Amino acid sequence: MARPELTIKQVEKLIPQASNIQYLDCCGQKVVFTGIIEGRKYALKFMSPNPSQAVDPSNELLDDVTARAQREVETMQQCSTPHLVRMGPIGLQTAEVAEKPIIFFSEEFIEGKNLQQHLRDSGSLSIEELIRLAFQISEAINSIWQFSKIHRDIKPGNIMRSDEGDVFVLLDMGLVFDLQDASLSISPVGTPLYFSPEQIDFSNRRTVMNFRSDLFSLGIVLYEMATGKHPFVTPVSTTTWEVIGNILNMTFEPPISLRADLPVKLNEIILRLLAKRPALRYRSIALFHLALREVEAERGGA
Amino acid sequence: MTILAQCGYARKQKIEHGLDEGVIGGVIMSPLDERRSRLEQAIIQWRGYNPRPIVLFDPQFYAATLNSPRDGHLSEYDYYNNNNGLGRTQFSGTRIHRYIKECLDYQHNTFGNNLAYLIAPTILFDGFRDFWSQVALNMAVESADYHATELKNPQPLLLSVVISETAFQSMDAMEEFLDALTELDVEGFYLIVRRNANSLQHAMEAASFGHFLYFCYVLTEINKFKVLVGYSDWQSFLIEAVGVAYTACGWYQNLRQFSTARFQPAAGGRRPRKRYSSAPLLSCPLVTPELEDIYRARLLTLVFSGSTHDSILANGPSSGSTNWSDEISCLVHWFSLNGISQRIAGQTNVGTRIQEAERVLKNAQILYRQLNGNGVNFDPQTGPDHIAEWLSAVQEFRGLARL
Repeated sequence: MARPELTIKQVEKLIPQASNIQYLDCCGQKVVFTGIIEGRKYALKFMSPNPSQAVDPSNELLDDVTARAQREVETMQQCSTPHLVRMGPIGLQTAEVAEKPIIFFSEEFIEGKNLQQHLRDSGSLSIEELIRLAFQISEAINSIWQFSKIHRDIKPGNIMRSDEGDVFVLLDMGLVFDLQDASLSISPVGTPLYFSPEQIDFSNRRTVMNFRSDLFSLGIVLYEMATGKHPFVTPVSTTTWEVIGNILNMTFEPPISLRADLPVKLNEIILRLLAKRPALRYRSIALFHLALREVEAERGGA
Repeated sequence: MTILAQCGYARKQKIEHGLDEGVIGGVIMSPLDERRSRLEQAIIQWRGYNPRPIVLFDPQFYAATLNSPRDGHLSEYDYYNNNNGLGRTQFSGTRIHRYIKECLDYQHNTFGNNLAYLIAPTILFDGFRDFWSQVALNMAVESADYHATELKNPQPLLLSVVISETAFQSMDAMEEFLDALTELDVEGFYLIVRRNANSLQHAMEAASFGHFLYFCYVLTEINKFKVLVGYSDWQSFLIEAVGVAYTACGWYQNLRQFSTARFQPAAGGRRPRKRYSSAPLLSCPLVTPELEDIYRARLLTLVFSGSTHDSILANGPSSGSTNWSDEISCLVHWFSLNGISQRIAGQTNVGTRIQEAERVLKNAQILYRQLNGNGVNFDPQTGPDHIAEWLSAVQEFRGLARL
């Protein structure tokens, strides 16, 4: 599906209250600009709805793109943790540009780098940062789960490391899945390299996805940020399908074997997050935080 | 780690004496076996004990799906009497809600905080993927929801799971079931394994028992649920080693291992022969001839559990057997289970607890060999085959838990 093609002038016309508009990035179905509104910088996200893929035949505007945008905006409005990107002053709106429909909204702009860029430019995180990352992103997962939703796309590229105060922020709720809303797709969506086993085997009638699926993806991120290596990408398995096979079946190398200064308990935590069965991970974020606090206590922290 | 009395017919003063002697920490009441008024009175009365015992009420709702069960005094309880004789079509969402409501309301409104936990009603199932297992899960979900939203300041909830031992043969299905069970936000679980009639009184098959230990381990050590395993008998210490907080055992064979024969008319027959509960042997040798043979081999002290009641048999089991009452036999059984339980509880983590449990098993194996070497032979029901079976089960468990 095509993403919208917009000029800065067209954005200025769509959002007249925004100034200093600049092109930022494009990813998936979105084009993102930045702009200043009431003295603060925001991300301005634009998408093209696709009425031919309406998920609700009674409402032809509610196509997959619009449904996801609605879900993203709704989730940002519901959740209040500082570790989940917040809604900006422009709510979800529709408009026409060059006779083509367009939808857009604004969200908090975070100065910093995403973890993918950080890994490329600066390498792995320190132990303190890993612990903080685990605390903060699991808080974001918990905040979404309070509304029976799961993120489904936790990966380094969707986590910002803020320049101010080392705060980690989870971005992009476009794939958030609402367990209480049957209208959204349950087929595997997201980034396959960060899928949980149950996200791949979504046909299993018993092992339904819940926040423990997001914990698995967080486990991959922590492994990667600790060692610089993806646990399921090996020299002999580099294609997506091979990695998916590894997620389902492979016993990976413990992160401590690649990062000698990793505390034993933090190593155990990452291994538990990456358990193939949800029942072997953490059944609540509170229990996960308890384990993290033990790591901190051993290191003489808080 | 606490041993509870699994109540049944002929409770008499066993619980009070067990509490006085400190060999049990509480009791699971059985509405099947005694008049409602007597049961309710007992539960209120025990609140005065110091230390306060852990008192639970097993609703035994699972009898409602059995074919023409002998349901004894269960018919005095509305949550059972309104709903017995249930078939596959009688578990719609609305009906399940009613069963849950009636059962939990009864416990909550009648006993309040005299019960340590409320126990959710459930049904029995034979396989982790069969129709009834899904009904059991639906009942668990509804119970958790009803408890969280409809009861005012309730005691914490244990969800019941009553499973046939054969279900534990399928590891895949068991893990799927665990994925579903661990999603539930409750205090814990009350587990009962239904033994097959033809394997009753023997150890569970090693692989299945190893899987059951792993099932308990995932609930307790990994997911931090409080777990009570009913009808656990000599297996209690192994179950406790993997993290289970409470185990339970009663006085008759049908209160030590669970089977649906408990809900069938009594077949009659003679009184069971007197037995002695030997912690070192992890079994109950017959007072005569087995214990008598050990006495004649001058090895009696090696099989004694160390209870003060041992003195009754110390000068010759045959001559002492007339004073070996059902109640004393039961108290010594609890004493023996409790002694091993405390030994396991003294260890700091699941790894060392399992090591200690293996030591207990190997010591028993050595003792059986020593007794055999001195001409003492045992009935197969006494042992020692169960020891080898349990050692294999522990190995199976170690592999699964990577310990």
